[in-house]
Amino acid sequence: MATQKMLKFVTIGREMPEKRDAADRSHDFHEIYREFAEAKATEQASRCSQCGVPYCQSHCPLHNNIPDWLHLTAEGRTEEAYLRSQETNTFPEICGRICPQDRLCEGNCVIEQSGHGTVTIGAIEKYITDTAWEQGWVRAIAPSVERAESIGIIGAGPGGLAAADRLRRMGFQVTVYDRHDRAGGLLIYGIPGFKLEKDVVERRNAHLAQGGVEFVLNQNVGEDISFDAIRGRHDAVLIATGVYKTRDLDIDNADARGVVRALDYLTASNKVDLGDEVPDFEDGELNAQGKNVVVIGGGDTAMDCVRTAIRQGATSVKCLYRRDRANMPGSQREVQNAEEEGVEFVWLSAPGAFAGHVTGEAATAQEIDVDGDPRVGDPRVGSVRVHKMRLGAPDVSGRRSPELIEGADYDEPADLVIKALGFEPEEIPRLWGVDGLEVTRWGTIKADFQTHATSLPGVYAVGDIVRGASLVVWAIRDGREAADSIAEYLTNASRIAAE
Amino acid sequence: MPIEEVESITSIRKRFVTPGMSPGALSPEAHMTLNIAMNRIGAKSDSGEGGEDPAHSHPLPNGDNPCAKIKQVASGRFGVTAEYLNACEELEIKVAQGAKPGEGGQLPGMKVTDLIARLRHSTKGVTLISPPPHHDIYSIEDLAQLIYDLKQINPRAKITVKLVASSGVGTIAAGVAKAKADIILVSGHNGGTGASPATSIKFAGLPWEMGLTEAHQVLAMNKLRERVTLRTDGGLRTGRDIVMAAMMGAEEYGIGTAALIAMGCIMVRQCQSNTCPVGVCTQDEKLRAMFTGSADKVVNLITFYATEVREVLASIGARSLDEVIGRADLLTQVSRGDKSLDDLDLNPLLITVDGADKIVYDRSKPRNAVMDTLDAEIIRDAERFFSDGEKMQLSYAVRNTLRTVGTRTSSMIVSTFGMRNKLQPDHLTVRLTGSAGQSLGAFAAPGLKIEVSGDANDYVGKGLSGGTITVRPPMDSPLVAADNTIIGNTVLYGATDGYLFAAGRAGERFAVRNSGAKVVIEGCGTNGCEYMTGGVAVILGRIGANFGAGMTGGMAYLYDPDGIAPDYINPETLVTCPIGHAHWEAQLKELIETHVKETGSLKGAEILNHWETEKANFLQICPTEMLAHLKYPLADVAENDAIPAE
Repeated sequence: MATQKMLKFVTIGREMPEKRDAADRSHDFHEIYREFAEAKATEQASRCSQCGVPYCQSHCPLHNNIPDWLHLTAEGRTEEAYLRSQETNTFPEICGRICPQDRLCEGNCVIEQSGHGTVTIGAIEKYITDTAWEQGWVRAIAPSVERAESIGIIGAGPGGLAAADRLRRMGFQVTVYDRHDRAGGLLIYGIPGFKLEKDVVERRNAHLAQGGVEFVLNQNVGEDISFDAIRGRHDAVLIATGVYKTRDLDIDNADARGVVRALDYLTASNKVDLGDEVPDFEDGELNAQGKNVVVIGGGDTAMDCVRTAIRQGATSVKCLYRRDRANMPGSQREVQNAEEEGVEFVWLSAPGAFAGHVTGEAATAQEIDVDGDPRVGDPRVGSVRVHKMRLGAPDVSGRRSPELIEGADYDEPADLVIKALGFEPEEIPRLWGVDGLEVTRWGTIKADFQTHATSLPGVYAVGDIVRGASLVVWAIRDGREAADSIAEYLTNASRIAAE
Repeated sequence: MPIEEVESITSIRKRFVTPGMSPGALSPEAHMTLNIAMNRIGAKSDSGEGGEDPAHSHPLPNGDNPCAKIKQVASGRFGVTAEYLNACEELEIKVAQGAKPGEGGQLPGMKVTDLIARLRHSTKGVTLISPPPHHDIYSIEDLAQLIYDLKQINPRAKITVKLVASSGVGTIAAGVAKAKADIILVSGHNGGTGASPATSIKFAGLPWEMGLTEAHQVLAMNKLRERVTLRTDGGLRTGRDIVMAAMMGAEEYGIGTAALIAMGCIMVRQCQSNTCPVGVCTQDEKLRAMFTGSADKVVNLITFYATEVREVLASIGARSLDEVIGRADLLTQVSRGDKSLDDLDLNPLLITVDGADKIVYDRSKPRNAVMDTLDAEIIRDAERFFSDGEKMQLSYAVRNTLRTVGTRTSSMIVSTFGMRNKLQPDHLTVRLTGSAGQSLGAFAAPGLKIEVSGDANDYVGKGLSGGTITVRPPMDSPLVAADNTIIGNTVLYGATDGYLFAAGRAGERFAVRNSGAKVVIEGCGTNGCEYMTGGVAVILGRIGANFGAGMTGGMAYLYDPDGIAPDYINPETLVTCPIGHAHWEAQLKELIETHVKETGSLKGAEILNHWETEKANFLQICPTEMLAHLKYPLADVAENDAIPAE
């Protein structure tokens, strides 16, 4: 018993790495948590209960062997812990930072469920992988054999990169196409630096490039290069474009200046952070400095927008969401962080009585009206008409749907309105001019759940473009699985060819 | 068949049992919740080994009965007293357990709280080891003897023998049935505690299906099936499992793991660590506060099982579980369409023995009767003792065919006066002349004194619960008492309280698992004082090898003028030293004085005559783990300051 290092939750409380205080962190785009010191990581890892049936693992999309690497960390065997963790996860340091652990591993942690406070799995995962990078334990991608077959991957987001990494390690020739000027997808341009430092992503990009993955950037499929050209060039193609079409509102004065899309706003901010010149930011269109900002939506993207606006120096930042705190889709941890930084959440408030529809599948989504200030000759938004809501009975998804409270409207002054209402798939078959690529009624690409094969032979699809907007960790899982089935497909194909 | 015509949920629920999980393993809350739940529905819960709080014999203010209907007698015999054995309807002898066949349990010191220590007659914070075997069962005859003993100490209870599924279990079950057990439990490998060693969980044991069918078939072939009720456990999870178990021959069903999960267990499987985060199997006050289980949840679980059983029965057109018991012909092997799965031939499990259709399954039949012993006479003769509490003295001749003398009488004492009674130690004195049979004075209760002039067989004072036993050679015996064996093997096994004085040597396995009795003898064979956790043993003669192995409590004094005793003792776990403190010297001297007075021991008298010189020939033996818990230091501080005083 004396050698028992684990199960220390009885005596040791839950502790996160130190969070920078709100006043300090709300002026820059650096991550808000400091690193665990080694002793702290060891101590926190030792709280794990080493369950016979580890729910953290079963609720992790990647089925990370969490109890094992916590055990190794607690014993000070950090390198082995890293090796164990990277077996199932291509980008553990990224998941450690941005996974909504409170809904996945940590939320299902047995000792969390029984009221002792979860093991801080994410922070420890980040610690061991960051340590691995510092110590040089992250090995270069060096396939033992080179294979002639090549794979084209469209989209350099987490799904595409996870597949690229795995395929390249098997010796395949991998080319990644992306329409942006940097690889990383939402990791680089979507997620703000205070959640995921940009050098973490660039380090991975460099790692892949050094390992022989070819990146072809600034290539928008359907415009700069045709899908058929890519198919012709490679033995297999993986579609990992993500979902980029913003759900929109059919509103009065919708085209008023000052009403912007979340992704445009976040991309601009990230580009500025990376040192690029962004005209829309320079002219103030996508800069919240000195403005009254209203963000519409209650998801993780909305959380990123409000916190970015704070860091840009907005006068006030309000988040309108039509349900209450308990019924919002975004991570509770993010809401808390945002509140600490000075964001005001206006629960149970939908912007305006609404005429018209919300595009796409958002039939159940927000019905929102942004009433621009109708000052003649100035189409710039001036205020948002807010309708107060109350919650009705839970709907089929278990969330309680909001109902309008008559006559409780008021106007909320706003200079910048950011729409963070979710994302939808672009019309890939039409934009790319592909026949025979089947899509679902939501516009996502139809792919097999296990093999990720689409209706076109040799064409696979993973991530948000299959699932609809989802988590990075799911994209990584898809990417890894698709890599395996592509490898199997190509191996079988070459065997048949040989016969 | 319409479901309304199937036997009721209430009637089905009575067949359920929650198998033995001890207080100690489980938190007191969890243990009590299981008992309450099973009592509410007229089913049975098993106390597990480790005693039960006597307070459970009284109903709770809300009317719930927290007392387990089945009391377990396992190899550790923890807290197995006359009182415990009388507070139940059924006694279960755990020969083995499916999850860890061939292994004993261990309760780590950190789980031994004040309460647990009190129930188990041990010391707080000191590890308790259940030995792998029962030290009083080395053959089927020995098991028959234990069954006989238990049927004496509790004249109402049925006796269950818990076996594990293994090849050959049929033969064992037949033997057990002939040994007059009433219920045979076949335990499978799938259940079991999270505290079992990983190797046992993964690699040991067989499925209950195999063991159950073999036991059922062999019993039926030998016309023994009607004598016993068959029960199974070890991985029953659904109503479908229950019906399948019934078809394979089981009449009653044990639900352990699932019942714990109903109470909030989340399968952390760190049950040995005392850190159960939901307070199910921990003794830590803070964690116990997290316990969210309730009897209602367990009742619901069993109700759902019963509901599903009814549905399955209705779907196959059976009106009651009794109709399908033993109907293995209703089962067929499912072909999985894969040669690696389908090369297994399960037909041997599905055989129906000729004539099996004539077996009557009756769970409510009376228990298998056993012969009376001398106690029938004693109880008649002691009528005034029982009715008026008069002090009495009875005298009989005894033969070795009269086994378990004094046990039925003790049962009467416990039911009439209680075990913590105010009787004098010799309130009822029974004098016996001759050679007493096995299990003399087993579970003897306070107030009973048995004096034997002659000798006694094996198991003297088994489970001694406060009575006094003295054995001395006949006055005219030419034998030198100290050189001859006067009491047999396995004396005082599992004793919890009382006194034994024997003017002569004891056999092997003397005072194994003694946890409170005080005893003076004049020598013993091998394995003396093994696994002892309490009490005092004074041995005025040679000992055998492996003395005090696994001993974690109590005290032993050896008269060792030749200085050879240390060769028989493991110095890693035991401390040996001369008598160094007045308290211990007084304890030793007083016991020898009583011994001389009770038995007329010449050797004892000789030692007392020269006490000042002879006391240096004594060796005091104490488990290392106990040092920190002693009330008095082993030696006066000046001599050895390494040993902490309290």
